[in-house]
Amino acid sequence: MTLAAIIVLQALCAIFFIGDVIADLRGGEHLDDLHLILEAVAALALTMGVIYLMHELRDLLNRMAAMEFGIRAARGEMANLIDAFFTQWQLTPSERDIAHLVLKGIDNDSIADMRGTAQSTVRAQCTRIYAKADVDGRAQFLSIFMEELLHAGDEKQSQA
Amino acid sequence: MSVVDTSDGGRPGARDIVVWDPLVRLIHWSLALSILLNSTVIDGESAPHEWIGYVAVGLIGTRLIWGLLGSQHARLSAFPPSPVAALRHLVALSKDDKTVYLSHNPLGALMVYNIWLTVLLLGVTGYMMGTIRFFGVEWVEEAHEIAFNWLLVSIALHVGGVVFDSWWSGVPLVRAMLDGRKRVPKDRSVVK
Repeated sequence: MTLAAIIVLQALCAIFFIGDVIADLRGGEHLDDLHLILEAVAALALTMGVIYLMHELRDLLNRMAAMEFGIRAARGEMANLIDAFFTQWQLTPSERDIAHLVLKGIDNDSIADMRGTAQSTVRAQCTRIYAKADVDGRAQFLSIFMEELLHAGDEKQSQA
Repeated sequence: MSVVDTSDGGRPGARDIVVWDPLVRLIHWSLALSILLNSTVIDGESAPHEWIGYVAVGLIGTRLIWGLLGSQHARLSAFPPSPVAALRHLVALSKDDKTVYLSHNPLGALMVYNIWLTVLLLGVTGYMMGTIRFFGVEWVEEAHEIAFNWLLVSIALHVGGVVFDSWWSGVPLVRAMLDGRKRVPKDRSVVK
């Protein structure tokens, strides 16, 4: 928004100077007058600046759009990855739901509330999930996915 | 229950698409403000009236350059002025077609050019009224007056069109011009 505001201001200034130069020329002044030359140069510089800034703004907008696309793709990738793990561990549908909630950082009490089941049931299901994933507990369960993210980052870096 | 699907920002049944860049929005609202000021609180004979008029013309000039260089939906080529397309759009409306246009719809596009031209005409005739050659010349003043009345009609139609299209297509257009995002209902076909 700042860049856009600067572009608008600068464009208005450019138009002011161009108008001023034209008015001076028609008022009988000539281009060999230093004052008028300076004004003409300022008008030209401002106009070029406006066009340059417009290019910059467009590039910036394109980069932002590409980044958003990338983030969405990455998010989709992560979701696929998580699903792949769950399938590999042969989680049941309800275990998948609970595992998702665990990944989102929701504690057992809240999960039990959300699913309308007893806390003991959730605890038992969690134990089964951890057993299938071959981890000791919640922290280690989360670290599997963390590891995967960090790993992916390393690969990207070594490629670059 | 799917917990991972947050691709549409957690808002089911709609997706946000960025269409209006900051420059488009800034120029739109600045132009609206300059028209509002010049037609209401600012005295028509005063120097501020002239300055605001120059600013309005400058805003449109900037927008036109941005229409050549700018981002995808801001380009003039994204909404060419086409009466034929506008008619086809009207026919489509009568057939209950709720296609969403990411840039302006063909009718809206005509209105855009109409308002720009009208403001430019106001600027030119307004400038002429201040020159020695055309000072006090009746047809210039009349042209300025007619252009202004036409601008008022156009703005009424523009606002009416925005209200109608927001209701018809389900895309809140005023919000789109404020934060740049069109919230398009999921089941709609979309034209770029």
